[in-house]
Amino acid sequence: MLVIRSEKLRRGLRFALPFAIMPALVLLLPRGMQAKYYAPVTFLMTGFALLLFLAGFERRELGTRRMILVSVMTALSVLGRMLPVIKPITALTVLSAMYLGPEAGFLTGALSAVLSNFIMGQGPWTPFQMLAWGLIGLFAGMLAKPLRRSRVLLYGYGLLSGAAYSMIMDIWTTVWTYGEFTFRQYGAAVVSSMPYPVVYAASNVIFLMLLAKPFGDKLARIGKKYGL
Amino acid sequence: MRAFDAMNPAAVTAVLMLTACITIFCLEPVLLGISLLFAIAYFIMRNGRRHAGFHMAALGMPLLFALLNPLWNQHGTTVLFVINQRAYTAEALFYGGVTGLRLAAVLYWFRNFSDLMNSEKLFYLFRGFSPKLALIFTMAVRNLSVFRAQMQKIRTAQKAVGLYRSGHLIDDLRGGLREFSILLTWALENGIITANSMEARGYGSGKRSSFTYFRWHTGDAVLLLIALLLAAVVIAAALQNVLTWQFYPQRIPPAVTLPYLGALAAYTGLAALPVIYEGKEALTWHCLRQSI
Repeated sequence: MLVIRSEKLRRGLRFALPFAIMPALVLLLPRGMQAKYYAPVTFLMTGFALLLFLAGFERRELGTRRMILVSVMTALSVLGRMLPVIKPITALTVLSAMYLGPEAGFLTGALSAVLSNFIMGQGPWTPFQMLAWGLIGLFAGMLAKPLRRSRVLLYGYGLLSGAAYSMIMDIWTTVWTYGEFTFRQYGAAVVSSMPYPVVYAASNVIFLMLLAKPFGDKLARIGKKYGL
Repeated sequence: MRAFDAMNPAAVTAVLMLTACITIFCLEPVLLGISLLFAIAYFIMRNGRRHAGFHMAALGMPLLFALLNPLWNQHGTTVLFVINQRAYTAEALFYGGVTGLRLAAVLYWFRNFSDLMNSEKLFYLFRGFSPKLALIFTMAVRNLSVFRAQMQKIRTAQKAVGLYRSGHLIDDLRGGLREFSILLTWALENGIITANSMEARGYGSGKRSSFTYFRWHTGDAVLLLIALLLAAVVIAAALQNVLTWQFYPQRIPPAVTLPYLGALAAYTGLAALPVIYEGKEALTWHCLRQSI
């Protein structure tokens, strides 16, 4: 990413690589590969895509203040993850994405995942969690305007991202337990994880209801006061 | 020729990662045995007789895995005995032992790696990658403990003004939320102050430079080249299924051919690199002392 000169190409690649090319490879690879290599290769691919995307950030687009605020929000959501069952990590990621931008959202989500896994248990699933939470933040940042305007839309996004998180993690479950990826097995994994998407979605909405007003106001105030 | 840990960190990382990755991907008992042997040899060279606990835990792995694997793995044809109407097979026992061997070898290599690497070396490796990301990450880690301490202060202050917890669920929840909210206000303002003072000291005003005392010497390039060549031989052999064992339903080792022996020899060379470098250095020192 550091050698490509064209701004447009670089930007395009930064989004296409982790979010289009990587999933395509994950879905297409098993046809020509021995099953035992599939899980390690998927893991390496995901990690590589993540690193590539993260390396693409330049200081200019984030700014020192926003950078520091990302580290603050990351630490806060990690602290919040100590709670049992329900986790405010998604809600905090979405909120910081809405007020600090998509890049900040991606970083908050992805870094919270790594950092909290130092406490909750690091494993081969870490890159997938990073990707899942990072994407939730990224899209929330892109949809910042409508999400800030409409509370209903925000809750809808919380619901959706809870389900999406669980479904991204099910890709990992499928690959790990079956050693390959087919849509039939993926469907089975999604169904068998059934209570979790609902719990995630519900806890997201609850936390957004509780935190959207006070946290949103504070983040907006900081943004206004210091011109982020 | 310098000692192994005085080599360029990039070369050291390459050697150790190639050795460990081949160990992870190759389920070949002989190769794993070689890997484990040299990993232990290097570990003892650096640490002497210390860390007996680690040795016990790591070397217990093959035994543990071998004994446990047959309990839930019913494949294999040679039944040793039957527990609870479940067959306990020799093949599963062997396979468990091999996976345990792999784990032990990888544990030793990673332990060696983390012994060799300090934060200075890690920073040298990742400096080109993203210094900004590294900064955010370290600040987040620091913030964790700072926020915990601040949370404690907030809680005490809340108690002092009479907003203590009552044991009522809704009250506790609202109290917790209020504390979290106070923490957020403080954290955000504190973050802005940090950012301001960083900018006042010139952070981000130019290209970020960093001091490192690692340079590429010819010796580093030679080491890297040797490691890559040896690893290429092993990987090529592994991709041709020269090193593939069949574990179930019957244990069939690969044919002992020239490529098989060549691959094992190449891997021996790769795994022995750290020991060779360290041994050469120790020998030189010994000779120098003798001549005094």
